[in-house]
Amino acid sequence: MKLAWLARGVHRQVSLHRRVVLGGAAAFCMLALLLGGARLGLLTATRWGAFIGQNVHVIVYLAEDVDPDRANGLAELLRRMPTVAHITSVEPTQALARLEKSAAALGAEALALADLEASYFPRSLEIGLRPASDLSQQASDLAKHLRGVPGVVQVDAMSEGLTRLSVWVRLGRRLGVAVLLTFGALTLGMLLELLLHSRSATRQRAAVLTQLGETTSGIRLPAMLWMAATALTGGGVGALFLTLGWRPLIGRLETSLGIASASPLPRLGLREIAAGLAFTLVVGLALGFFATPLPRPDDHA
Amino acid sequence: MVVEAVTLGVASGELIVVEGPAASGKSTLLEVAAVARVPDAGAVWFAGRKLSTLQRASLPYVRRNIGYCTTYPLLIPEDSVLANVMLALAVRGEAPPTAERLAREALALVAIGDLAGRTVMSLSSGQKRLVALARAIAGPPPVVIADEPGATSGDLALQTVVHALAVARDHGAAVLCATANSMLAHELVVIGGRRIHLAQGRIAGAPAIGLVPPAPQAPYDSEPSEIESAVARLVPLAVDDSDLPTSLPATKEPR
Repeated sequence: MKLAWLARGVHRQVSLHRRVVLGGAAAFCMLALLLGGARLGLLTATRWGAFIGQNVHVIVYLAEDVDPDRANGLAELLRRMPTVAHITSVEPTQALARLEKSAAALGAEALALADLEASYFPRSLEIGLRPASDLSQQASDLAKHLRGVPGVVQVDAMSEGLTRLSVWVRLGRRLGVAVLLTFGALTLGMLLELLLHSRSATRQRAAVLTQLGETTSGIRLPAMLWMAATALTGGGVGALFLTLGWRPLIGRLETSLGIASASPLPRLGLREIAAGLAFTLVVGLALGFFATPLPRPDDHA
Repeated sequence: MVVEAVTLGVASGELIVVEGPAASGKSTLLEVAAVARVPDAGAVWFAGRKLSTLQRASLPYVRRNIGYCTTYPLLIPEDSVLANVMLALAVRGEAPPTAERLAREALALVAIGDLAGRTVMSLSSGQKRLVALARAIAGPPPVVIADEPGATSGDLALQTVVHALAVARDHGAAVLCATANSMLAHELVVIGGRRIHLAQGRIAGAPAIGLVPPAPQAPYDSEPSEIESAVARLVPLAVDDSDLPTSLPATKEPR
């Protein structure tokens, strides 16, 4: 019997205060987007960081008389340096194969490269540095040291590209924080507005119910229930949007930025979705609790 | 206005009219009786229980047994008339179909059955008073308290109010009504109500009333412990508890 009245109370709220309910659902959707977006943003940043980490920052071209054993010895020495993350030894045949592949990707005819021989290409070492804020400077310093090493004919530090990359990374980070803060402030504002609207909408009803002898929990329960339902609906929509929309969005962005990674694009797991929905539910219940202003209780005790 | 030196009891099936000029303490007396105001001194008894011994959380269970119609009706403006009346029955735990039936009966009793579907905000102040009265008598509850139920009403509405209160009384409710309208007071006395004059917060020319409530009547026989009696006592501010009449029920432990 109590359930029937509760259902009526929730239905009444939804039908009488549609705008408040819709605003509430939008606020909870924003909250879900904020939480899920922050999580996915972190995963994406890690993925991009790994991609940047795999990049080659310094290329060392070796002299013709440097045989593979000597090249491997040099690579082993460089690998011991703390700033070096990885080293790849590129043989002349591999270098030719790469060129042919790149040329084919650009639409060049195979015939144009037919006369090229692997011996035209020098043996080289490709060095990737550990992620750091002064990557460009580190690459320049390493290149400077390597230029004096016997057997090294040329060193390319890729400093210009690295400087540009670090600027983009810094900008991206700041942009991410700004978007997060703006989104957070907007969500907070919407939730506060929902709370204030609900308080003004339920004030009179709470006073009437108090006079009629309803208990405090009985007065608060309908608001808590409809707010919880709104939180779950809004949160669910937000989670669905992130689940369906994030991967295509990041995929397109990576394609346009030329980022190619073998690892799968990030997505929210079931546990993360469940935890997010549970959080929005708790926020909804708390808002519902405070959304019902009770008249000052009489003290007969 | 301070109510002073007033001891008043009302039993099931009884109608008491508190008559007095404006600012004589009628509304304060009714607020205290309706558990809407805490008296500075004295005590309120309800169904054999002294309310000051109850826990605060128990007070709503007392209030829901009182149909209280205030001078300025406290209604939910955006809800329909029917929903407003049904709300009191919902709080008392009636099933929705029963609540709707009882609410419609109460609305018909105060002659506004045709307004059931209208929202309260679209009504005149006189109609709102009738809605509040219908909500107070719907059921009816064990106690009906009406503060100026006939205010801003015409002769016809006055007769409706008198009839509605009489029906509530006849169904076993203890009815306590306050009015400054001598015509309404007279009409209520004509149908068997007991008149009490209140002036400057004191009962004028009437002894304190102590009552032993009669047995409960339908439709409340399902919950005899709650509605066995309905006694509200306001003891004089200047009088100690030892001066209370010995016929008062013994104090029970809070639930």
